[in-house]
Amino acid sequence: MSQPDSPLEIVLIGNANVGKSLLFSRLTKRHATVSNYPGTTVEVTSASSDIGLIIDTPGVNSLLPQSSDEIVARDLLLERKENAVVVQVGDIANLRRTMLLTLQLAEMDVPLVVCLNMADELHSGDGDGTVNASALAGEVGSAVVAISALRRWNIGRLRDAIHCAVRPTAAVTYSEAIERAVARLLPILPPNLRCRGVALAILAGDASLRPLLPSGIVAACDEARESVPQPASMTIVHARVAAAEALIAHAGAASTRRSGNVRERIGALCMHSVWGMPILALVLAFAWYFVGKIGAGVMVDWMQATLFGKWINPNAIHLLKALHPPRFVFELLVGQYGILTMALTYAIAIVLPVVITFFAFFSILEDTGYLPRLAVLLHRAFRRIGLNGKAVLPMVLGLGCDTMATLTTRILDSKKESTIVTLLLALGVPCSAQLGVIMGMLAPLGAPAALIWIGITLGTIGLVGWAAARVVPGDPADFVLEIPPMRMPGITNILIKVAARAEWYLKEAVPLFIIGTVLLFLLDWIHALGLIQRALSPLIVHGLGLPAEATNAFVIGFLRRDYGAAGLFTMQKAGHLTPNQVVVALTVITLFIPCIANLLVMLKERGARAGWTMAAFILVYSFGIGALMNTMFHLFGVVL
Amino acid sequence: MIHAATDEVLEHLWYAVEENRQVHSLGDLGADIDDASFRSAVYELVADNAVDSSLQLSDTGTQRAKRIVRRHRLAEVLFFEAMGTGLDDAESSACEMEHMLSDVVVDRVCTFLGHPPVCPHGKRIPGGDCCRLYSKQIEPLVMRVIDLPVGAVASIAFIAPKTLARLEKLAAFGIVPGSEIRLVARKPSCVIAAGATSIALEDEIGREIYVRLR
Repeated sequence: MSQPDSPLEIVLIGNANVGKSLLFSRLTKRHATVSNYPGTTVEVTSASSDIGLIIDTPGVNSLLPQSSDEIVARDLLLERKENAVVVQVGDIANLRRTMLLTLQLAEMDVPLVVCLNMADELHSGDGDGTVNASALAGEVGSAVVAISALRRWNIGRLRDAIHCAVRPTAAVTYSEAIERAVARLLPILPPNLRCRGVALAILAGDASLRPLLPSGIVAACDEARESVPQPASMTIVHARVAAAEALIAHAGAASTRRSGNVRERIGALCMHSVWGMPILALVLAFAWYFVGKIGAGVMVDWMQATLFGKWINPNAIHLLKALHPPRFVFELLVGQYGILTMALTYAIAIVLPVVITFFAFFSILEDTGYLPRLAVLLHRAFRRIGLNGKAVLPMVLGLGCDTMATLTTRILDSKKESTIVTLLLALGVPCSAQLGVIMGMLAPLGAPAALIWIGITLGTIGLVGWAAARVVPGDPADFVLEIPPMRMPGITNILIKVAARAEWYLKEAVPLFIIGTVLLFLLDWIHALGLIQRALSPLIVHGLGLPAEATNAFVIGFLRRDYGAAGLFTMQKAGHLTPNQVVVALTVITLFIPCIANLLVMLKERGARAGWTMAAFILVYSFGIGALMNTMFHLFGVVL
Repeated sequence: MIHAATDEVLEHLWYAVEENRQVHSLGDLGADIDDASFRSAVYELVADNAVDSSLQLSDTGTQRAKRIVRRHRLAEVLFFEAMGTGLDDAESSACEMEHMLSDVVVDRVCTFLGHPPVCPHGKRIPGGDCCRLYSKQIEPLVMRVIDLPVGAVASIAFIAPKTLARLEKLAAFGIVPGSEIRLVARKPSCVIAAGATSIALEDEIGREIYVRLR
């Protein structure tokens, strides 16, 4: 094998949910999150490997982009370097769509390798058919390799094919008018954009291409577009579909996914108008039991009371006392606001077990293919709040982490929807860490308290969503969502995902916990904490009816609201909060901005003006609701 | 033109029978019928044994009149209901169409429209051969994908979306006229499968995709 002069740049491109990220992990030995729903990857990820730099991209349906994550993938193709190779990942059971994209990639004038993934499913009884990769390769004019990223079939052969990748010879012939317009456009396009694919996209009226075109040729492009019968996009797609079908027929390939098996039937039940709801209730009950009872109950109790309460903290205090450190150091490490006794106890004993159990549960859900079916089930309800079923994905992901979910709003097809979902995530969707703590706090209070909290949170999502749908300009996008096949989750992938997410949590959250604790400690050390508590007491004590001590939870809640919730959790355990106060405090901290990271992502994704407006609204709304609840409790003499 | 005049006379004789009106002279059929060209049309009809000398329809005349009325009223439904024109436009265009369409085309239009029983004015559309077949095999020629029985496979005849963006979005999934699709679920949302791809759709889009059963 000849050694290339500079390392190859290998771009993985393909339809959504065909396994690009899994192949990325296989080629780079680096973890990339893999799930069974379209839109797991919304950002470009790259990592080096022995065969070159591997770049993972969000899924695309066509090279005429429809959403911002598709634009990202398309732009990457346009920025291709001299030494770039495109590896198209496709579903072997879905040749028609795969070849449709292959033909478009061929028009981008790049060396291409087509890998038909999930070849194992074709042999395991899930799929049906025969696919002769070399016959297809003959038709495409580039290497075609049938692989299974999951079972690691033919990965070696794919690596070899990447090394000797060539530009495909397959080409679609369009109508005379289109071909003439393409021929006219090609010479005037700047050299980096000079390919049939770009010329065709211009004729099809791809608005996302505009910013990339030099201003001097815009008029000529418009003229060329007007010279072809419109809608040219449809004429072009029809020609491509016909060419893809002809190509598959020539290669004598036929494949499909078998229908009617048990998994497909379960999948159908999950989105059934009658059975869907009981199944959802079952899923939620399981989550409640697994995360609320086992994670937030049994595991947190043991970690907090026994591991930290009996072993680690007393021994650390004992050890430190023996060293006779200055009081400042002693208090900083193991005092009331100590790094060990507060930050690490909260982070490791209270939040970590919840995060781990939640992500274990959530990963199973992700890998089965349940989430897109949930989107189908909830589509109508979401319509009422100005969204469509597709928005279920980021909203449910928000239960894992609001920050990540805010990035996932990129899969939504309109700016209006992205804005509404970003707001609702920050306002009404508690993240896993917080949710676990909340479940743990609500569990001893009984059903009425839990119903008030759930009612207000869901009511807020409904009300604010309904209002936002009327305030935020723009039209709602159509609901068009691909439903992946139901699959059996693999234990390895789940363990990898849980480990990766736990690692991410420890890296991202724990430092913030420590910073927050040190801040509290310093404020306390200089006696400023009492001042802040007194200053905020009209709000906290009179408005919300909480003890002044609860101010601390809200101060650190600005950093991460799960940290604030953990503070309330310890106050409740120590008996410093009545059930009424617990519900008010929990509701306010739920509606609060999730964390600094989420705020930053909000500002980045939605722009400073929209981001700060949302943040200000959330602040006022959350405390306003808390004060309202407190007043109502007093007015009606509610004692929980 | 002579041919059109005979059609016109037969049509109006049919209306008179339909409305139980007695016809003694051409004037009874309506003011605009009573002129020289129509009078020669009547002679022609009498010569063809379609009408007797007292202006009553014979069996052959009834059959011819029925076909004309059927063409006229189906054309009205086509323009008014399927194409969404105004009632006046539908009517005037139907008057032109009733002279031109062949029986094969009329049966196709009838099937396409799902064998409508009445015209936009609420009057009965005489049935054709296609309607008798239809009473046995209840499949219209073209139907909306959302109206398919769940699990049925059909090929897309045409897509009539509200926006081009919808058409492009579907096309990106390879869903174009000619593609074979299966209705997976109708509720709570429309789900279709094209090859190995399953897609959940807005109900409205499900009503814009017209399919032909195999």
